[in-house]
Amino acid sequence: MQESMDAIVLKDVVKSFRKRTIRGEYTTLKSELVRWLRGQRQAREAGLITALRGVNLTIPRGKTVGIIGRNGSGKSTLLKLITGIYAPTSGSLEINGRISALLDLGAGFHPDFSGRENILINGIILGMTRAEVRARMDEIIAFSELGEFIDEPVRTYSSGMYMRLAFAVATHVDPDILIIDEILAVGDEHFSKKSLAKMTEFKNQGKTIVLVTHDLSTVERWCDLAAWIDGGYVRRVGNPAEITTEYREAIALAEARSAAFTPPALTEGGGALPEVRTVAPEVPSTPPVRLTALDLLTPEGIADRELSPEDRLEARVYFTVEGTCDDAEFAVSLKAADGRILYATSMRLEESRPPPSGCVRLLLERLALLSGAYTLQVTARSAGGSSTESRTFQVGATASEQGVFRPVHRWVVEAANPTGVASQPTEAAPRVAGGGHP
Amino acid sequence: MIRLVRELYQYRGLLISLVQRELKARYRGSFLGFLWTFLNPTLHMLVYVLLFTVVMRQNIPNYAFFMFVGLLPWIWFSTSLGGGASAISDRRDLLTKVRFPAQVLPTTVVVTNLCNFVFSLPLMLMLGIAYGQWPTWHVVAFPLVILVQFVFTLALTYILAAINVTFRDLQHIVNNLLTLWFFATPVLYPFSNIQDEKVRTLMMSLNPMVGFMTSYQAIFYEHRLPEAGPLLVLAAISVVLLWGASSIFESRREEFAESI
Repeated sequence: MQESMDAIVLKDVVKSFRKRTIRGEYTTLKSELVRWLRGQRQAREAGLITALRGVNLTIPRGKTVGIIGRNGSGKSTLLKLITGIYAPTSGSLEINGRISALLDLGAGFHPDFSGRENILINGIILGMTRAEVRARMDEIIAFSELGEFIDEPVRTYSSGMYMRLAFAVATHVDPDILIIDEILAVGDEHFSKKSLAKMTEFKNQGKTIVLVTHDLSTVERWCDLAAWIDGGYVRRVGNPAEITTEYREAIALAEARSAAFTPPALTEGGGALPEVRTVAPEVPSTPPVRLTALDLLTPEGIADRELSPEDRLEARVYFTVEGTCDDAEFAVSLKAADGRILYATSMRLEESRPPPSGCVRLLLERLALLSGAYTLQVTARSAGGSSTESRTFQVGATASEQGVFRPVHRWVVEAANPTGVASQPTEAAPRVAGGGHP
Repeated sequence: MIRLVRELYQYRGLLISLVQRELKARYRGSFLGFLWTFLNPTLHMLVYVLLFTVVMRQNIPNYAFFMFVGLLPWIWFSTSLGGGASAISDRRDLLTKVRFPAQVLPTTVVVTNLCNFVFSLPLMLMLGIAYGQWPTWHVVAFPLVILVQFVFTLALTYILAAINVTFRDLQHIVNNLLTLWFFATPVLYPFSNIQDEKVRTLMMSLNPMVGFMTSYQAIFYEHRLPEAGPLLVLAAISVVLLWGASSIFESRREEFAESI
């Protein structure tokens, strides 16, 4: 049976804490007695701290959502509410699907136990059954790359090994919704690549991922949506690139105004960052401009082979327009395999109304990219919404070159002249490129 | 209460794993390892035997065995309460990071100590046989007494664990109270040693542990069935107590993650 399309729905969620908890003052019999003797009965209820002041957030099924915001803006509180560790003070929460939260790596690890024993207990704590953990044991051990250390007590592990083991267990839980709090950067270069690949696998399996991070480039590269929590509210939800840009602007503006960066939850009114610009609320509906196809063509036709850096490439974007549309914008971004944006530009159809259906062609005279997998993504934006298409292609180049792109270049060799009179330079045969491709 | 028990059943995998881990962890790294399960109560007993057969002479036949019969279930009870009080407040690492029913933690403490109790039973039986006290058919009542004591201990542990989250002083008070309670319970002395009938009735009605201890002693030491009346009353009290403990626990559990 198909459930609701949304994995997580939060409605007017408010969460307050008693101040004593935040300041780490525990109530003891003594303190309670002293308070009672002094006749301060109400003192307990006075210091309430509101971390979330009314959060409305809908996370659609199968999307990767990045949650950003300043320290203390309520991100982790939000995750704990979604996970069910905290109960909301008011408001409602709806969760559809099995949830797994990676709020902390290695929850419940016991230092005296071997890696293998800890995998079992940690896996069960994270919500797997014994049989499931046993079935995935070898997979988890292989992923952690601990080798024979797996049977040593965890206390003998280096911190990197500990984190790798914990991450290996955490990612082998098979949830519908995965909640991650700042733990993607684990281990060395090799392992973090592997972790990202695992996360990408989750994504491709259509799992919902909610990610809290301060690494804005991760959000841009990796998320389908970004939500910006500020001052206890959701300030904006939408396209990750736009939101991170605005977030950066707001931080810069606050710094320029030398606004005091006080803990937001402790500040009157929530301590939100200054407003950058007024944003029209997005009206979600069927976009008037819809992309129907995106073709990549070389001069010979559809580009289905491995391309070379010197190839001419043409992107054809077919679109249809429903109803009226005065202002359509086509945004193109070229991404590397890891999601990094190599180039992004946009084109606006300003002068007249676009035809009911048509084709936008983007001509790249020279591809200039070195070997690798790339993605070209086209988004049509108009007043009523947006529509996106993307294509992935492979480029092959000779091994002698490194980097991302091949600029137009040539080599010149000059002999040193002791008389100081410029001699005729001996020029290498002009070539378009150094790699030897025609 | 039903919800509490149902959740425990749902998370039995976690409960079992945690109990296993506690059992293994307790003596891991120690030279004698699992043997400590037997050595601990034996040493405990030897101290009291020394005290009551050499220093303060008692006229009880097979005194060491008599005392062991009561001491083992008492150790189960007191270590459960002592450890259970901080079961929730000490596991901040789990409760603030992972979602699972919090009652698993105090239950783990009680079940772990129950396992230790059961593991040390062969020792008690061997000691009895050494004194020529073979177990009789009356042991059929033994599991029943254990069950009632389990419910009773669980209820008290839930209450302590829930209150200790906000009143940290409790975990220190509990151990001292347990010492007092120990001497008010007929473990080291037979209940019949108390001459005054009124005092006996008062103790019986105020201290539920009296009923448990006399039952264990009836089964193993006196070779008779425990009196059904007091045991039934205890069972009723235990269930009512567990019901009350669950509602206290339920009403506070949302605060646990925030308060610890």
